[in-house]
Amino acid sequence: MKRQPFFRAIRAATPVLPIATAALALGIFLADSITDLEIAVDVLYVAVVLMSASFCQRRGVIVVSAGCMALTVLSYFITPPGIEDTGLINDGLGLVAIAATTYLVLRMKSAESAMHLARAQLAHVSRVTTLGELTASIAHEVNQPLAAIVTNGNACMRWLARKPPNLAEATQALERIVKNGERASRVIERIRGLAKKSRPQDERLDINDVVREIVGLTETEIQQSQVRLRTALADGLPAVRGDRVQLQQVLLNLILNAIESVTSMSRRAREIVISTAKDKAGNVRVSVRDSGSGLEANALDRLFDAFYTTKPNGMGMGLAISRSIVEAHGGQIEASPNRPYGAVVQFTLPIDRAAQGHGRKSSRGWHGEFPRYESKKRSAIAGSGDPRQRPPANAAKASDGVP
Amino acid sequence: MSETQPMVFVIDDDQSVRDALDSLFRSVALNVRTFGSAQEFLAAERSDAPACLVLDIRLPGQSGLDFQNELAASGIDLPVIFITGHGDIPMSARAFKAGAIEFLTKPFRDQELLDAVMAGIERDRARRAEISNTHELRKCFASLTPREREVMARIADGWPNKKVAADLKLSEVTVKVHRGQVMRKMRAKSLADLVRMADKLRVVPTEKS
Repeated sequence: MKRQPFFRAIRAATPVLPIATAALALGIFLADSITDLEIAVDVLYVAVVLMSASFCQRRGVIVVSAGCMALTVLSYFITPPGIEDTGLINDGLGLVAIAATTYLVLRMKSAESAMHLARAQLAHVSRVTTLGELTASIAHEVNQPLAAIVTNGNACMRWLARKPPNLAEATQALERIVKNGERASRVIERIRGLAKKSRPQDERLDINDVVREIVGLTETEIQQSQVRLRTALADGLPAVRGDRVQLQQVLLNLILNAIESVTSMSRRAREIVISTAKDKAGNVRVSVRDSGSGLEANALDRLFDAFYTTKPNGMGMGLAISRSIVEAHGGQIEASPNRPYGAVVQFTLPIDRAAQGHGRKSSRGWHGEFPRYESKKRSAIAGSGDPRQRPPANAAKASDGVP
Repeated sequence: MSETQPMVFVIDDDQSVRDALDSLFRSVALNVRTFGSAQEFLAAERSDAPACLVLDIRLPGQSGLDFQNELAASGIDLPVIFITGHGDIPMSARAFKAGAIEFLTKPFRDQELLDAVMAGIERDRARRAEISNTHELRKCFASLTPREREVMARIADGWPNKKVAADLKLSEVTVKVHRGQVMRKMRAKSLADLVRMADKLRVVPTEKS
């Protein structure tokens, strides 16, 4: 009965751990109740609190801790009578130990969430910084339609000023003005989407669309650096789930790195190829390969570490953040040498609603501050049987109980 | 007669900018052809008419400035007007140094562009007239006999008949006859006229041993 709120508080993760924890609590309670009063088995509740920390939120830990204290007190009354003083002192010490452990666990939890928040902010800052690097591109993207609008406007006036006015040509010019106005506004919308600080979305995505959009935004940058960018996008890829803007940030980082790498080489063909494919494990794989300066063997291990950079002006955050994002999406990112030269960075994303084993790995990553996003993913992992068989309505329900 | 109608060529990788420029030039009754890339332009057959080129600085695969140099190197001597999304001073300096007519930043004022285009066409027309003029002269010069050419080079250099005769081992009378033939065949109205022609044709007296 007492455990009811406890179960509500845990976030539907692997059910094994909560069950084990509950069993342990029960075991301690029985041992505490059966053994003599002065034997302080209740100190072991500390282990229960610690275990609960791995799958509970703050509130859950508090509830577990309160439960343990209540059990301790309950045991005190139902244990066969013994040496009253020692029993009382031991029980008191047990309670203090539980309280102290709870306090420490809670401190740890808040440090963790502060870290997640800091990471999210850093990701945003890095995205905005990256966008700053694209200023020339963005200015061009907006300026082109503007130039077309102004020129069409002038042409329109001249068509109308003719004697007799050429209404057909004037109308066509006006139509082009409207079209270009819409184009400019789409560009701005795209940039605003990238610069916006928003909670991560969890939507069904066609990865090819995500690639195309970001390629559109970097087109000018690419042209200016006289790089040839090719895309080889596989047809009929299954949808993935995730946050469009975050995935675009990953791609943006990879593309800008690739541009920098190829432009550092003067003699070779400057080529970047972005490809998407389905890999053997059924994941969607996105690769960015370049014909640039390549990677040194000792750089490979540290490439994704924060503050590790091979660029003179680099901050060393781009790939670290990219990894966080990819892992939060349940995927993996890796870099390797490209043949005959250059580098290839590729990441995988699990397809929509597929239970991938490495999804759990993401606990080190991102989702601390994105409870909704994570919970959906976790519930899919936690579900019994093949989640692919589960109707979507059910899947949505599984995430309902999340705080 | 589209042969002599002036022509505007536009090279810009952006379709919407191309369409807009196309309409603008047509609205002032200029013939216009647009191209998406430098390669397209080079591949196209161009009519023999005074023309000018409106060129985007940023072209796919190549900068417009490089293309300008390439054109000059391959003997296509078209006046160039640059349009650019963001122009900086070194860029415009380079463009002007290579002979650009104008360097306009998008979005530009249509009158500025049209003025530049008119100036470009005018320059091309003058250049073409100049070329056909020289061509005409060459034809006249080709009709001279070797002896007449020798005489022409010397009198255009200011030699008196006597000196020419001595140098070429001819009689003075013969030199006078040759001189009359030269003036007639070259359609020179005066000695000064002939001097200018010799200058243009780079005709100089060769050393006679």
